[in-house]
Amino acid sequence: MKKRYVMLADITRCINCKACVVACRAEWDTPLGYSRDWVHEVESVRADGLPQLQLFPGRCQHCDEAPCVDACPSGAAWKRADGIVLVDEGICSGCELCVPACPYDARWLNPETNTISKCTFCQPRVDAGLPPACVQTCVGGALHFGDANDPQSTVSRLLHNKEWLQLNTSEVPGATSHYYYTAGQTLPSSVLPHPVQQHIPGTLLSEVINPAAKLGIGGMFGAFVIAGVKKIIDRRTQLSGKEQHHD
Amino acid sequence: MTKRIHVREPATIRLHWFNALSWGLLVASGLGIISGSYLRLVPAFWPELLQNLFGGNATLILSHVILGLVWMGVIVLFSLLRWRSTVWPFLRQVMTLTPRAIFVDLYFMTVRLARLFGLMKNVPLPSQGRYNGAQRLLGTMIVICSVLIALSGVYMFFAPQWLPFAENDLYGSLFRWALVTHAAAVFLVLIGLIAHIYFAVIEEGEAMEGMKSGYLDAEFVRHHSPQWYEELKREGKA
Repeated sequence: MKKRYVMLADITRCINCKACVVACRAEWDTPLGYSRDWVHEVESVRADGLPQLQLFPGRCQHCDEAPCVDACPSGAAWKRADGIVLVDEGICSGCELCVPACPYDARWLNPETNTISKCTFCQPRVDAGLPPACVQTCVGGALHFGDANDPQSTVSRLLHNKEWLQLNTSEVPGATSHYYYTAGQTLPSSVLPHPVQQHIPGTLLSEVINPAAKLGIGGMFGAFVIAGVKKIIDRRTQLSGKEQHHD
Repeated sequence: MTKRIHVREPATIRLHWFNALSWGLLVASGLGIISGSYLRLVPAFWPELLQNLFGGNATLILSHVILGLVWMGVIVLFSLLRWRSTVWPFLRQVMTLTPRAIFVDLYFMTVRLARLFGLMKNVPLPSQGRYNGAQRLLGTMIVICSVLIALSGVYMFFAPQWLPFAENDLYGSLFRWALVTHAAAVFLVLIGLIAHIYFAVIEEGEAMEGMKSGYLDAEFVRHHSPQWYEELKREGKA
């Protein structure tokens, strides 16, 4: 059966130790100041007046209809059948057209490689049967990873036994079925995804130039097909006229 | 049999057909490179088919670039070797855009296109030189767009390898605008090429003959390009 890799982030167990961030940076040797994962800290005041700190371990949500894949001109951003969104570094030009398209701000330009970096669920480790580095190192046992299509897996059991929610909004609906947070509290707006955006050239290409090209090329083609048909009809009429004249 | 006039050198004819073949292959491969659904013009099957055929988009991109560089190289070489005899006269005839010339060109195009659909049959066409209004417009478009396509294409392939995009956002921004320029320029020429191919194949077989043999029927020249015919007569060629 096809695998569906998912990550579960149990926010009731996260202690903000950032071991996941350190493990990720060590695994992927990211440049100073850059990381493929993070822990969002959200401070608020509860209804009873007490202060509250919520922690959201985050990374690429591996969207089903990934907008980064749609925004990538060269196919460097792509999605495997098991749901992992990857970057083909051999093709990626670092043009960053995918960066504003990501509603979770999970993509960034790596200054050392000139290509886009993002969480890949540690795909080489996963393919070797290991959990992602962040999951393996998670001190509080907040992060879980596995195949949701395998009923025996830990993630399947957790998905079944606990309530979970996803980072979806009305503007980014049902974007992901590969990343879940513990349910129970309303998600703060600062962790919710922003709508898919594009650079001006990207918008220009998708909203103006491509539709204009379709209209222009299609219109011209249609007009000249009509002209060609008219020419054939005229010639036939002319020939039949001549034949009648001969008769 | 009417007199035939020699109007085109074999090297120019070879360049035209080389350019046509290059355009066909470059457009086909280029449409196969653009993958993301926000940006591609053609249905997804085409990039999928070509990328599978080439064993991945990296090879397809490299093939597109090599072909593009050969295309540029041949045209630059031709332009250097035949600048005075062929290229400069062509550019001067096609790209001289005075307000009067633009008006005459637009008027000519309107009447000529209307006649395809049986309209404006009795409206006389303005007298044309070697290149008529539509050909002048297409020629100008192809020259300007080809330069833009070449420059933007070279930038898109080489800049990511040579320039540190993370250090200055200008590099990435230029890449994104180069992509838009590349696509828009190609689409603009494609729109014009539909008319070009229709007239060559369906309407004016004699013009096509001129692009094969280099000779045109004197009567054809006199009818379609009276001003050019007069020039050729003055030069003793007609």
